[in-house]
Order: sequence, then C-alpha cells, then structure tokens
Amino acid sequence: MNIFRNLIAGLRELVRRKKTEIELNEELDAYVQNLTDAKVQAGATREEALRAARLEMGGVESVKHQVRAVGWEFALEVFVQDVRYGVRMLLKSPLFTAVALTTIAIGIGANTAMFSLVDAILLRPLPYPEPQRLTVVGTNQRGESQISPMGTADFLAWRDRQQSFEQVAVLDGAGGSFALSGMGAPERIPGVGVSANFFSIFGVAPLKGRGFHPGEDQPGAPGVVVISQQFWRDHLDSDPKVLNRTLTLDGKQHTIVGVMPAGFRFPPRAPVDVWAIHTLNPPTSRPPFGLHAFGRLKPGVSMRQAGAELDEIVGQVNAQYPSSTPLAGVVRPMKEWMVSEVSTPLLVLLGAIGLLLLIAVVNVANLLLARAAVRRREVAVRMALGASRKRVVRQLLTESTLLSLLGGVLGLLLAYFAIRAFLAFGPGQMPRLNEVGINSGVLVIAFVVCVASGILFGLAPALETSRPALSDPLKDANRSSSSASAHRTHRALLVFEVALALLLMMGSGLLIRSFVRLSHVSPGVETDHLITAAISLSDKYSEPQLGQFWKQFLEKLQALPGVRAVGITMSLPPNLLEITNPFTVEGQGYDRQRKLQLAEEMAVSPDYFRALGIPLIKGRFFSPSDRVEGEKDPMIVIINETMAKQYFGGKDPIGGRIQTGDPDPRSPWETIVGVVGDVKYSGLDSGPQPTIYVPYNENGWVGWSREMYLVVRSSGGAQQVVPAIRAELASVDSTLPLAQVRTMDERLDESLVQQRFRTWLISGFAALALLLSAIGIYALISYSVSQRTREIGVRVALGAQRSHVLGIVLRDGLKLLLFGLLLGWIGALSATRVMRSLLYSTSATDAVSFVATSITLIAVALLACYIPARRATKVDPMVALRYE
Amino acid sequence: MPDKNTALIQGTLDMLILKTLALEPMHAHGLGLRIEQISQGVFQVNPGSLFPALKRLERAGWLEREWRSTANSRRAKYYVLTAGGRKQLKLETRDWKTQSIAIARILEA
Repeated sequence: MNIFRNLIAGLRELVRRKKTEIELNEELDAYVQNLTDAKVQAGATREEALRAARLEMGGVESVKHQVRAVGWEFALEVFVQDVRYGVRMLLKSPLFTAVALTTIAIGIGANTAMFSLVDAILLRPLPYPEPQRLTVVGTNQRGESQISPMGTADFLAWRDRQQSFEQVAVLDGAGGSFALSGMGAPERIPGVGVSANFFSIFGVAPLKGRGFHPGEDQPGAPGVVVISQQFWRDHLDSDPKVLNRTLTLDGKQHTIVGVMPAGFRFPPRAPVDVWAIHTLNPPTSRPPFGLHAFGRLKPGVSMRQAGAELDEIVGQVNAQYPSSTPLAGVVRPMKEWMVSEVSTPLLVLLGAIGLLLLIAVVNVANLLLARAAVRRREVAVRMALGASRKRVVRQLLTESTLLSLLGGVLGLLLAYFAIRAFLAFGPGQMPRLNEVGINSGVLVIAFVVCVASGILFGLAPALETSRPALSDPLKDANRSSSSASAHRTHRALLVFEVALALLLMMGSGLLIRSFVRLSHVSPGVETDHLITAAISLSDKYSEPQLGQFWKQFLEKLQALPGVRAVGITMSLPPNLLEITNPFTVEGQGYDRQRKLQLAEEMAVSPDYFRALGIPLIKGRFFSPSDRVEGEKDPMIVIINETMAKQYFGGKDPIGGRIQTGDPDPRSPWETIVGVVGDVKYSGLDSGPQPTIYVPYNENGWVGWSREMYLVVRSSGGAQQVVPAIRAELASVDSTLPLAQVRTMDERLDESLVQQRFRTWLISGFAALALLLSAIGIYALISYSVSQRTREIGVRVALGAQRSHVLGIVLRDGLKLLLFGLLLGWIGALSATRVMRSLLYSTSATDAVSFVATSITLIAVALLACYIPARRATKVDPMVALRYE
Repeated sequence: MPDKNTALIQGTLDMLILKTLALEPMHAHGLGLRIEQISQGVFQVNPGSLFPALKRLERAGWLEREWRSTANSRRAKYYVLTAGGRKQLKLETRDWKTQSIAIARILEA
C-alpha cells in the first residue's frame, strides 16, 4: 500500500470534510435511487420499491460511519473529539481541575527538575571525546577503598614505565588558588598547576591560542598559563590580543598562551580561572602525596589491566623507599571519581521525589474516582446510545492524559524555575553543574512520565466508571451500592498514599534530626568575634624571610586597637585541614605492616590557641621564647586530648616523645609540652582525630608557612577590624591579597551548606506529601460521608447520638490511617537504610524521628477526618431520608 | 460482510470488486448487482460492506472514481480500475487459484 498516497488522501479528506460528506451522501442517495429503479422495473410500485430499497440499505448513518472508519484520519478525528470533550469536561468542574493540575504540576515539575540534575551529573557521559577511556589514577593503602593523590616519585615512575595509557597527565592542588598581582588590588584566584599534556588528554580545543606544548613543564622552562573564558572576560575585558600578555601568579611571571571555552571545567567541583604549567622536580622523598593523576587508556586496554600494571609499578617504588608505608595503585573511571560524593544524596533525592510523584498520582486517581461516581450517569447515557466500553475507556483515558499533559506543561515551567533557583541558591560545590539544564532527553522523560501517570491515575477510575452496571445507573447514580468496588479501590489507594507520605516524612525526620545534631556539634573553638582570612607569600620570600615577615606582621596586628589575640595556622576549623602525617610514639616500635596511624598536623603561631579559644588541658602553650631562628633545641609539640587518651592511656603525656613522618628510628624526637582540647578540622561530622601542633617557625616547618590562615579575635565587630588588618598587610607588602575573609560563624555555616540544603529539600517534599495526603484523606472521608448521608440519617432518626456518628466516621478514617502507617513503617524499616551515609550520629531506624513523624501524620490525618466527620453529625434526618 | 448464509472469506470481497471492475467501470449499485448476478445469487453484497471496501481499495490506489451520467441521465460515481488495480487483481487471482487447487486437493484426498 502506498503510504504516501494514503496520507495525502487522508489529509485531503480532513481538510475538505464537508465536500467528502456531500459526495458520500450523494453516492448513497444514488445507490438508493438505483435500487428503487431496479425494483420498479421488476414490477413493484414506486412506494413499495422505495421502502424495500431503504430497508435493504440499512442505517445510512451506520454505513457512513463504517466508510469513514476506513481511513487513518478517522482515528485522529476520534482523538480530537475526545480531546475536545475532555477539555469541556475539565472546564465544567474548575475546582477539581485546578486541584488536579496543581498536584500534577508539583509532581512532574519536581521530578523533571531533579531528573535533569541526575541526568547531567550522573547519567550523561563526560563531555569529552571517548570519555570511557578517561581515568583517574592514584594510590591508597592496601585494603582501603578510596583513591588518594600520588607522590611525585610514584607518578614519575608510572609515567615513564606504563604501557596501558595513550597519555598521562597530572594536576597539582585541586581546589587551589594563586595570588594574582600587578592588576589592581592583589587578589586570590582559583587555579591549579597542570602538566603539559593536561588539555590533550581531555581532547578539548582551546577557544583561543593553544594548550601547553610538550616540554613546557620541564624544570627551568618559562612559566605559561591557560586562562578560562570567564577570567578572560571578567579580568581582561575579553581583550582580543590576550595571547602573550603576562600574569603575575604567586609573584612569578606567566605568559598567557590560550583561553579555554566556558564549558571546560576541570577539576569539576568549582570554576577554575587559570591552569598554570606545573613543573615536576625530581623528588627527594616519597611524600608529600598531592598529585592528582589522570590517564587516557589506549583503545582496547581495560581498566583492570591498567590497574594491575600501575600496582606493579607502585610496588617497585615501595621497594625503592623501604622506610615508607607500602602503597597500592588504583585506577578508576574518571566519571565515577568526579561524582562519587554526590551520587548518594542525588539518588536519595530522586527517590524522594519519585515518592512525591506517586503520591500526587494516587491523589489525582482518588479525585477522579470520586468524580467517577458522579459521572456514571453520563457514561451510562453514552453507552446506552451505543458507545462501546472500549470507546468510553479510551475517552476517559484521553481526558486523564490531557490532564496530566496540561499539568506536565505547568510542571515544566516549574522545573525551569526550580533549576534556575537551584543553580543560583543551591550548594555551588557540585561537579558538572554547568551541564545542568532541561534538554531534549529530559523533555522526553518528562513527557513519558506525564503520559504514564495520566494512564496510571486514569485507568482505575475509567474502568470503574464504565463498569457494566447490574442495577441501572441511569436511575440511581448516587446509590453507594453501585460503587462498592470503586470505594474499595479508593480506600486501597489512600492506604498506599498514607504509607508513601509516612516514608517520605520519616526520611526527612531522620535528616532533620541528623542536621540538628550536626549543627550543635562544637568545633572546639569559641566562634564569636573571630575573623579568619588567608594570606600566601610569593616565591620572592626566602625561608628566613618568611619567619621574619610573620613575626613582624603578627606584632603589628597585635598592637591594633580592638584586637584581643592573633595567630596564624596551616589548617582551619571546621573543614580546612591541609595535611595529615603518620606518627610513632616512643616505645611503640617500627612495624611496617601495622596500619599507619595518622594525625592531623599543623604549624601554628604561639598565640593561635588563645586567639581561637582552644582550652589548655595540661602543660603549656607555645611561647615566643621557645625558639630562636636556626637554633638546634629539642623540637616541641602540643597534642590534642584525643591523641593523649588514645596513645598515652593513663600516663601523663607531658614530656613524652613522638616522631612524625613514615616510621623510621632515625627521625628526630619531638617532646610533648602541652595537651589542648579537640578541634574539628575535617568537618563537623568527622569523629575525634589525633592532632599534633608544631611551632610554625620550627626547623622543617618554616617553608610551610608560605600559605597560612590568619585568625584574629576582636573585641568589636569585624567591620572595624578587617580594614585595619588590610591596611597593615599593605604596609608590609602591597602586592599581597588578604583572601577569604570570613568570620568563624560564617565558615561553620558554609561547611553545612550541603547538609542544610538536602535537609530542607527533603523536608519540603515531606511537607508537600503530608499536605497531599491530608487532602486525599479529606476528600475520601467527605465523599464517603456524602455517600452515607442516608444511612447516617436513619441512624440519627433511630436515636443515635452525635458523638456516636462522629465515632463511626472517625473510626472509618482511623482504620485506613493505621493500615497506611503499618505499611509505611514496613517500608521505612527497609528503605531508610539507603540514607545511612547521609546521617550524622543518627541511626537509619531512629525511633524518635519515626515516632515523631508518625504522630505528626496521625494528627494531621485525624484533623482531615474530623472536618467531614463533624459535618456528618450535622445531618438532618428529615433531609437525609428525602435525600434521593 | 456479505449477507445470505455464505460467509465470504476475508478479503475475497476486494478481489471480487476488482474482478468485476476489470470488465467495465461501474457505480456502486451496479457493482453489487453484477456480483450477485454472476454468482447466481450466492453472494449478496450489502452497502455496509460495499462502501467501506470501495473506499479501502481507492485508498490503496487500485481504484479511481469519476462522476458520470447514468443511462437514465442521473449523475453517479463510477469506479474505474487503475493499472495498479489490474496488477493487484492478477496477483490475487493467482494466489486464489493456487489456494483453491490446494484446498480442493485436500478435500478430495
């Protein structure tokens, strides 16, 4: 059959419907005429002949209908008819339509928004050519699951010996920054150091200029830098002659050789302004481990083969550094590494939103069911006039799908704004956020979800409405007996809805409880009137000059009015830990097979503890007289309470000695002079960690003081003190920026952004779920009260008390509620387990939050029952008995 | 569907229409009449099956219609077989023959 011809013919008939109709009429008339003529010729009178001919013809309308049904366009016509009828029906009951549309819009909108996040972040492949070949390479201690950055020795050995990768590259200091000077006020800009082939691994072409050439990362080569499009626009006014201009980064000249397009963001968590060339000097020891290594696998080489090869090379490096802790090599897919942290929260949120959609669907189904009873009469009329059940069901499903699509369009609008709001106000520290948006894939999914939910919530009511009736629904459409099965479906759906709502509420209850606990965790410092900032000194300061600079600067600050104490530190609570270091307590021995014991270690100035308000538990703080530059005294340390408890037991740690670094009997001994209170450096949700403090000017640590956090305890507000600090800094060195100026309260707040955000989000969903199910319960009970008006009237007439009637209705609601609660509890006990990793010192089956949410739900649900129940008690028996 | 007791095998009506029109162009009534006559009254085609069948065949491109005057100078829609219709008729006739011979063999076995 010629499809094209058929299509054209169908379209022609659609366009010229009237003409086609007339032609058909004419033809049928002619047929009857011919038939009559034939009969007259055969001898019948004209009248008889006409009568016989009409009889033979049968119903003209039915023939016409059959002819029309041949073309494909007929199905379309029927569909259009159904849609028009549907729209009319929806307009006829605006309140129902509004409630249903809002419910669907919320469900679909929230789902679409969330799905576009999940799609962009978790599902879509990375936006680079052949992303499946991109890997992250690192090391860890045997038996650990996470992947840690590499040391230079391991990286160089791997780079030179590996056979599995087409290219390997390295990035130093993810989340790092550079001091930019020589362009107005000095400031810190986000940036990383990378090896020469960094860009070619990703296969992304620069917008302008070039990536790095091989060899530009050799020691002694001149500094070059590639900048982001955003930096080019914001800092260089999109200067067309930007190439070969120079930037002063950390005091060193860098020539701009390229501009990367805005879509390129790596490391993925936050925007990067500059990628500067990073030179790898031959290592003198195995640590520190700060290099993020990447590789593009050769085609056909598996992740497993590459991992085995890396492990072997790392094994060779283990042998080369016998005193270091043996490490293992790990190769992971790059995408997994990028999104691992956010995947659980995102999936939990998606699950929560899926539940919300289900609740919305159930609610609309219930609304439709309630209407089904009303519409039975209308449908019965249509069926009596010859509509088949199939036709009626199709019409009703068209109506519900129409509803869901309209709701879906509203939902998309909602999703669009929700995503915009999320990008603007949500936690910015998420990978691949720049890829988030509503794309065609998301639209397709949204459409499918719309149609599916339309059919889902429409099917039961449609079947119910068109059920062949035993009694005649034309006569008594309002009789409850005729809709007993509708009532059962209705109730089952409601139980399901209550269970879903409870599940969501329990999830949110757990998160709230966990969040409350977390925000009451003390960071271990006094947070009020505490100003923090970051200062980093360029390469032009030699090591002795560093010590000089800090001594002078701290003295100046201390003398400022309004400053009570001032200190510097390498790491800052609540979550800015810079390094951890292995340590050995005197008398412990040097067993290399023992699991490495790690302590947070940081260099601080003597007044640091006083400035932060960290309590002294034993011994003393550092004092400025501890050390004169370059002198060879015994080294001293202060440890925290946890370390004292864990490693010294009942003994007095003061005067005890430790070694830091890889276990080695030749390492120098450091004497403990004090024990201070615990401070959280690895996040408020981290457990107690051993911490070691050393004086910042002690031998071996001076070099680390190039990048320090400044802490200032003031007596007044930050507004007065910060300008004074800036002025003092400028007076010492005008090229140094005072970066990341925040109060400690602000830092605490920021460290909880992610947790706060997801707690709010899920609680919002739970509140919506509660609202929706309350509406559902209210609707059901009102409906059943209206169905039972007559029965109630009889009861009242026979002398039932108002309280008795109230009891009957409430008991009815309560029964459903209890079933729902039971189901919800069962669901929660098995489902909240997935949230375990999101909870802080809260069990995934925390009894308090489960009971609290259940009580909330019961209270709201009972209220929703009570309103219609009270209406039932007002039933006037006389009116009720005349009711039908 | 045909009247009388003889059930027409599905799709056969189309073939009969094509065959009848291969003789000469006809209007709907003439067509029904002709089928009835040639089959000696075995097949009576009612309008409820005839008109949909005509439309189906027209859609398939096997028929065309044109308005002509009838013997008693009435305007009537005449159906004309197209080249495609002839080809289709040949095809269906061949298939039909093969099938009916096969069926006859089975019945006589």
